[in-house]
Amino acid sequence: MTSVREPGDARGDADPRTVDLGAADVDDDGPAPADLGPHDLDDDPRVGDFELGEVPSARSIRRFTARAARARAGASVGSLLTDVYTAVTSVVISVLIVLGVVQQLGEALPPAPPVHAPGGLSLPALVAVLLLAAVGALLSTAGRLGPVGAEGPQAAWWLALPVDRRGLLRPAAARGPVVAALAGAAVVVVLEAGLLASSGATLVRAGLLGALVAAVVVLLAAVAQSRGVPRRRTAVAGDLVLVAAPVVAVALVLTGRTPTALPAPSWGVVVVAAVVAGLLAALVDARLGALPGRTLREGGSAATQAVGAVVSLDSRELGRALTGGAAASSHRRVSRLRTARGPATALVTADLVVLRRSLRHVVQLVVAAGLPVLATVVPQLASTVGVLLAVLVGGWMAASASAEGARWAEMAPVVDRLLPLEARTVRRLRMVVPGVAVLLWTVVALGAVGIWAGAPLDWVLLGLAAVPVWAAAAVRAAYRPAPSWDKPLVATPAGALPTGVLQVVARGPDLIAFCLLPLWIAIGLHTVTTVMVTAQVVLSTVAVLIGSSVHDKGWLERMMEEQDERKKAGA
Amino acid sequence: MAPVVRARNLQVGYGEAPVCAPVSFTLGEGRAVALVGANGSGKSTVLKTVIGLLTPVGGSVEVLGRPVDERDVQFRREVSAVLDDDAYFPALTVAEHLYLTARGHGVMGAQQEVDVLLEEFGLADHARATPVSLSSGQRRRLLLAAGFARPRSLLVLDEPEQRLDQRMRARLADRLRAEREAGGAVLIATHDPDLVAAVCTQAVLVDDHASVVLSAAEAADRIARVAL
Repeated sequence: MTSVREPGDARGDADPRTVDLGAADVDDDGPAPADLGPHDLDDDPRVGDFELGEVPSARSIRRFTARAARARAGASVGSLLTDVYTAVTSVVISVLIVLGVVQQLGEALPPAPPVHAPGGLSLPALVAVLLLAAVGALLSTAGRLGPVGAEGPQAAWWLALPVDRRGLLRPAAARGPVVAALAGAAVVVVLEAGLLASSGATLVRAGLLGALVAAVVVLLAAVAQSRGVPRRRTAVAGDLVLVAAPVVAVALVLTGRTPTALPAPSWGVVVVAAVVAGLLAALVDARLGALPGRTLREGGSAATQAVGAVVSLDSRELGRALTGGAAASSHRRVSRLRTARGPATALVTADLVVLRRSLRHVVQLVVAAGLPVLATVVPQLASTVGVLLAVLVGGWMAASASAEGARWAEMAPVVDRLLPLEARTVRRLRMVVPGVAVLLWTVVALGAVGIWAGAPLDWVLLGLAAVPVWAAAAVRAAYRPAPSWDKPLVATPAGALPTGVLQVVARGPDLIAFCLLPLWIAIGLHTVTTVMVTAQVVLSTVAVLIGSSVHDKGWLERMMEEQDERKKAGA
Repeated sequence: MAPVVRARNLQVGYGEAPVCAPVSFTLGEGRAVALVGANGSGKSTVLKTVIGLLTPVGGSVEVLGRPVDERDVQFRREVSAVLDDDAYFPALTVAEHLYLTARGHGVMGAQQEVDVLLEEFGLADHARATPVSLSSGQRRRLLLAAGFARPRSLLVLDEPEQRLDQRMRARLADRLRAEREAGGAVLIATHDPDLVAAVCTQAVLVDDHASVVLSAAEAADRIARVAL
């Protein structure tokens, strides 16, 4: 029933009463009463046969929702204690693992050479470059995720309420800087203690500074969001900082001005950083109400998608969340796909357009090429293990970055089916763009490895023979099925491992591990032989055959299933 | 007195590219305007711009005589919008979602109002259920009920007929007609000619080339003939 409200019929003003979002009005097992603050409002809306009181405070609305969630979660004291125990145990194990890594790094690294070699990069310089890259990655991620957002239900049911949004958004706004601070502290402690052997008060100050700088980066992104700066622009700024890291490293190597030590942060710097973080936090809090609903919705949606992807160990979904969240305007310049001459070339051209339009993946390619170069020019890292790890991580980054087309096609298979091509052929064609990208990466990365080990041309030749493996692995990973959580768990000292998930996550990396054996052996022996190149060519062929398979399950699993079916049929 | 909505050469879109021809219309108290047009013609984009979720690409739009700004508390008090947000708090029941909306807008005696809406929208038997256990049509009814659970001067609905059965559509049409007759302003995007004929006083055909203002009867006829 609706009625027209006469002007001046401001019932709430005439009879100011406190509204209660309390248990009396909800189900018995619903939330408890909430305290509500007054809120001054102007004229009442015209329609709605309602008696209006005061609008509750944002905090009470947030509490109402939270209490309902707690009341219905069915959480007993026992389960709560179990959760606390699990969380504490996980944190302790994580800290112990980090400390172990730090100790191992410290013991494994050789001492710095007494005289700085020309064309080399000192460890402190490498740490500085890595920290710059981390700042870029953080800013880019913060921009893509909002950083302040309202998740789906909050956007739909909270943002429309006539309350001060600051009270609704405070927890979401605090989450980003806090998580960033923890991550920043962890990264800085590992780098400082592991690579630079810092300890004691220096390490504490460095850790605190790392945490504060990370929080400041996220808060700056939040300020930009509140000023209406598009999220894409913040993300691109972060990408540019990220890509500047390897450029700075190359500049340091070329100019020979590599620092031999980083300045230890003083307490004064830490205090200044804390003050800046505090001021920015206050500014963000004051401007929470000015955040446009659209960016809150978009940020919340991207963050929800990203968290879901992380929890389900689905890196493809995580990539989609980060890419889609800061995509350019939906109305782009239409690509005429001039190089498309038929279904095959159309597919390859489309993949190329997808890669060209994703700045994040182009940046990833540049960073991927920089990793092996850095590993070979830093004397303490230029060991067999260091170079192998750099080639492994860099190659996988390059291959993954260029397989975006395949990942989108996996999500929307109808696009592949529209083309008159066999499924296997589609997968082989999807290897073309990753193959070309890895080929370019190979020239830079394996060229650097060749300079490190001697005979660069031989190394580049071996690298070229290995290109199909990287491409096949990237496509195999892109087309892997969703993680399966219904397979048995395997108990390990670090906790239970879900085998179904591991099986799926291993699709793609398995080819890297086995079909690149000649490359790994060559790096281990610091030499390339004809036999290695020949073996690499053979294994590359095998990798392409496996990568173009359209079966979701492995050969052994399919054979066992067939046997079971035969038994059932016989019975 | 300013009209409830006034759009002048309003260009809407994502980023800088407009998705349809400029739209101009005026919506006063006790009136209902339908936005009609083919899929993807830009109806929902116009609605999102009117409620402040998108910034106009060009032209202007005012609600109750002021530029649109959904960050303004008063704007949120006046404008009730039901889009296709299929998102719910997993721990809140159907009734609690409506309480949240009503109480959040300062409605006294919300329980009685919510009970009426639950009955009217066929959700009384599901009041204590969580929305995830409902069918998509029932969840749609919950969203629509929430649009009426609070005071408003402007009611904005994006294709409210979607996922509703015929009986519910007829009931919704009655509800919207009553809204209009009570002095409210209604702006809907729809493909339902019956809804346009029963509720609306005017229609705007949203199109790539030119947006045209039609009478409700013309719009209903065109939807039926051209299957917009």
